Amino acid sequence: MEFQKEVKIRAPREKVWRFIWDVDRFIACVPGCKEAKTIEEGKRYAATMVEKVGPFKVEFPTNIEVLEREEMTRIKAQASGADNKIGSRMKLDLDVNLRDEGDKTVLGFVAGVDILGKLAALGHGIIKRKADQVLDEFAQAVKKQLEGDS
Amino acid sequence: MAKPMSKVSEAQLIPISFTLNGRLQEIEVQPHELLLDVVRERLGLTGAKRSCDVQVCGACTLLVDGRPVSACTTLAFEVRGRSVLTIEGLAENGKLHPLQQAFIDHGGFQCGFCTPGMILAAKALLDENPDPSEAELKHFMHGNICRCTGYKKIIESIMAAAKTMRSGG
Amino acid sequence: MLRRFRLEEPESVSEVSELLGRFGDSAKIYAGGTELLLAMKEGLVQYERLINVKKLKCKDVALESGQVAIGALCTHHELETSQAIKENLPAFANLEHNVANVRVRQVGTIGGNLCFAEPHADPGTLLIALDAKMIAEKSSSTREIAAEKFFSDAFETALEPDEVLTKIVIPAPAKSARSAYLKFGYLERPSVGVAVAFNSNGQISSMRIAVGCAGPAPRRVQEAEALFEGKSKDDAERNLAEAGLLAGRAAEAISDLHGSQEYKEHIVGVLLKRAFLSALS
Repeated sequence: MEFQKEVKIRAPREKVWRFIWDVDRFIACVPGCKEAKTIEEGKRYAATMVEKVGPFKVEFPTNIEVLEREEMTRIKAQASGADNKIGSRMKLDLDVNLRDEGDKTVLGFVAGVDILGKLAALGHGIIKRKADQVLDEFAQAVKKQLEGDS
Repeated sequence: MAKPMSKVSEAQLIPISFTLNGRLQEIEVQPHELLLDVVRERLGLTGAKRSCDVQVCGACTLLVDGRPVSACTTLAFEVRGRSVLTIEGLAENGKLHPLQQAFIDHGGFQCGFCTPGMILAAKALLDENPDPSEAELKHFMHGNICRCTGYKKIIESIMAAAKTMRSGG
Repeated sequence: MLRRFRLEEPESVSEVSELLGRFGDSAKIYAGGTELLLAMKEGLVQYERLINVKKLKCKDVALESGQVAIGALCTHHELETSQAIKENLPAFANLEHNVANVRVRQVGTIGGNLCFAEPHADPGTLLIALDAKMIAEKSSSTREIAAEKFFSDAFETALEPDEVLTKIVIPAPAKSARSAYLKFGYLERPSVGVAVAFNSNGQISSMRIAVGCAGPAPRRVQEAEALFEGKSKDDAERNLAEAGLLAGRAAEAISDLHGSQEYKEHIVGVLLKRAFLSALS
């Protein structure tokens, strides 16, 4: 499943870039994400993703790896996790990019999400909607954080 | 008025009493036991089959108080105080039920895997509606799936049995 | 095999509500089990406790003060064969007659169906068109939830965690009332469902349209209803195509195994037309 999101933030690019690497504040913007840990600064992180669709709950201990980094411009990362209780795996390919637009910064990301295993039985459509919701909430939370403290 | 709460870890045994093919059964089951497993594994009646395991194919059909249920998706304790009929209980004193005879006479089965469920469902149909139209028959039997016969012979068998049963056979 | 759980068998709504409040996510209401047990067998959910609600007195179908009141524990079979429902709500009796298969109809309850809120289900859609109200109870209170506000998302309802759906109340239709529900599907569960309910008295009025199965939850389509209000039968028929487009888009259809988004939207239009014409005849 592919998603593309863009959010315009009233903040300079440098501030947005620094925010991304402020792991605790950044992770706090991801709905359902908790217990973020830095394993190797700038390279590897760990977190737990908890998502719920009605009565169906998943908890993915997730490993995040930064694959490529272009200062102030682009980040390529990969995340993967498994919920062994339910028997499902999650894989996320993330491309984050920043560009200027007047006095604003456009934060865009392209996400490729794969859900494997039992959870997929819920139906592709429902998972897609949920992932879309999560990414939307995330983008809005980042914007709010950055615009909030000016 | 709250009853004392028991710990989850203690095994909970529910004594159930029910008639199975006309005879009284008294056993204890745990809440999570499925009717199909109890009937097949504990009571040794293997006519009902585990096929799709999601209550859509009908191969596990049993009659509870004369009505068809998916034994694969029924908790065993639910039959307490009720009567259960399996395919093994259909023939009486060695004489085949008209439905069983009709399925033989009209070629209503090939591999036979769906047949116990098919026959029990047909019995429930004819008990409710002794003279069904083909449309009514198809609607009732819609949830029993057969991969072999293409259904034509099954319909013929049930209609023939219905005729026999209506004339007191 | 299912994972082990503890069975609770309360005898009052208060007790059920209290158990739900006390045990939260680790307990679940269990009635017919036709949805719940499947999810449990798949390992998608697990509970320490199942709360068997079948001892509650929620099994009546009654005509009271111009309304049909249906107990949440009524099975689909009881509803399809109920004289009161066949006489007063024939479209609903017909819907119940066609739910799933004969075995699911035998044990599945209307309450369980509505509360599990599986997207690919029938009753919710027609209940929205019929302007039904869901009665939700807990230890301290009772409230009414309009059907069109009951389904919030896939597998999610407006019920609070300790609330129990006890009754569904449907206004008994007037003599000039017409309604119909049509569905389409080729998999085990329906892919698209459309319901209409209106008064036909020379003019069409009080039109209610609902779409289900195609999107995450059944919903009312007020945008399309406006095209029928106060129109003659002929004018209304001429608006069917446009109404179909509006209803299709409103369905929030997603492309999946049941069909592409475009296909489902198209089917919504087809079913809306057929349902309307069938209700009129």
